[in-house]
Amino acid sequence: MTLLRQAYLLLRKDLLLEWRRRDSLLTMFFFGTLLLFVFHFAFDMPPDKVVELAPALLWLAFLFTGTLGLAQLFQAERDNHCLDALLLSPLDRGALFLAKSAFNLILMLLVESVVIPLFWILFNLGSWNLLPQLFLVTLLGTLGFCVLGTITAAITLRARARELLLPLVLFPLMIPVILATIRCMEMVLRTGSFGDAIAWLRLLIGFDVIFLTIGVLIFDWVIES
Amino acid sequence: MGAWGYVSLAYGIVCGVILMYWFLLKRRYNAAEAELNRLRSSEAAANHDKS
Amino acid sequence: MERSTKTVKRRKGMLGVLALVAVVAGLCWSLLVAPPDAYQGEVQRIMYLHLPSILTAYLSYFLVFIGSGMYLWKRDNKDDLLAHAAAELGVLFTALTIIEGSIWGKPTWGVWWTWDARLTLTAILLLIYAGYLMLRSSIEDEQRAASAAAILGILGFLDIPLIHMSVYWWRTLHQPPSILRPDKAPWENVHPAMLTALTISFVGFLLLYFYLLSLRYRVGEMRQEIKALRLERGV
Repeated sequence: MTLLRQAYLLLRKDLLLEWRRRDSLLTMFFFGTLLLFVFHFAFDMPPDKVVELAPALLWLAFLFTGTLGLAQLFQAERDNHCLDALLLSPLDRGALFLAKSAFNLILMLLVESVVIPLFWILFNLGSWNLLPQLFLVTLLGTLGFCVLGTITAAITLRARARELLLPLVLFPLMIPVILATIRCMEMVLRTGSFGDAIAWLRLLIGFDVIFLTIGVLIFDWVIES
Repeated sequence: MGAWGYVSLAYGIVCGVILMYWFLLKRRYNAAEAELNRLRSSEAAANHDKS
Repeated sequence: MERSTKTVKRRKGMLGVLALVAVVAGLCWSLLVAPPDAYQGEVQRIMYLHLPSILTAYLSYFLVFIGSGMYLWKRDNKDDLLAHAAAELGVLFTALTIIEGSIWGKPTWGVWWTWDARLTLTAILLLIYAGYLMLRSSIEDEQRAASAAAILGILGFLDIPLIHMSVYWWRTLHQPPSILRPDKAPWENVHPAMLTALTISFVGFLLLYFYLLSLRYRVGEMRQEIKALRLERGV
């Protein structure tokens, strides 16, 4: 069985489980929306300021929401000792990595596809025509987050206080993604196109490719019984 | 604070921190060595008793 | 067995003495022999601490990377001991770099902290490797802790160039992204006496680093042996 096929089967299992109960998805969605509300109260902004801060606020919301999702990522396996079962099977660990990253990516993209339009409405932003470009940036950024996040979630799996340790370890490593996505979005919102920010986009793509590759290669050593 | 004030502050802190780290490290070292010798010698004594 | 450990100890002692000599020589050159800077005056002498500190920190993180990679590959505990020791020293020297940078910044820019590229970068490094140490200490099982930390050691090091690029671009907004150098490369128009002081300081830092590393490594090694012996006895 090829790597991709294995990954697909694992992913399907996780998606089915999630579809039945939908607890991760709903929690993430509500948390993301809640954060937007809190930001509105915290940052009392005039309308022109909102456009400037929008990318940063959005990304902060997604970072925290995504961390919630990551904390749940291996929960099912932990609870029922499925992890040991998975490890005993002749699965390529790289497939597990791809499946988990893809799963978190799908969850986050679903949440983002609702939260971003919601944000636009709540904060009275115009420029609906720019959403496709913004969504591209969001996709690339979220991919980077999921890839690094899956590896980090796996290595903090057995740690005490792992809910605290996961963001502690993940966020500094995420800084290129955070900078790149927010700067890209700022440029798009300001000028309507990527312009000079193309360089940031390239950095994002490079980041995603590098850590996706590393993840597949290294995941053998990450999950161990 | 004059220029030399800043210089002495920087050099002073660096020397202080490194000295302190070295001191603490030495303490860990000596404690570990003592414990190791203790364990080894009691092991030797136990083997000696057996023979 | 006894004789070889005595030789090793004596060599360590000699390294320590050598380090001390080099450090004192570095101090003399930095504080007394080298001339003050034309623009910054005496305060510029902090460079003789700052540059060696950050270079030593980078060396340390490179050793963490190598140790981590070797450990994952060969599963030899010695590599893990090296990685752990190097990470601890790396955090120490990075913290010192930040403090020195901050103190240098006050008379130069007027503030104790600024989010310029260099200081920000150093702070991020500190966060990554402090996280490494925290990860290690929060996992009970030694083997798992070593594996988890090794992964982080590799991830962190590979991320460094990306973090470098993103922070420098962010801080030099209107320049094309191909310019990646720090604001002022210190080896341009440097007085030869300054270069000497810098070199001697760097040698001193390097010797000091390897001396401390050898001590820290040995502490880790001894601890491992103590654990093994205790396990054997059922103590």
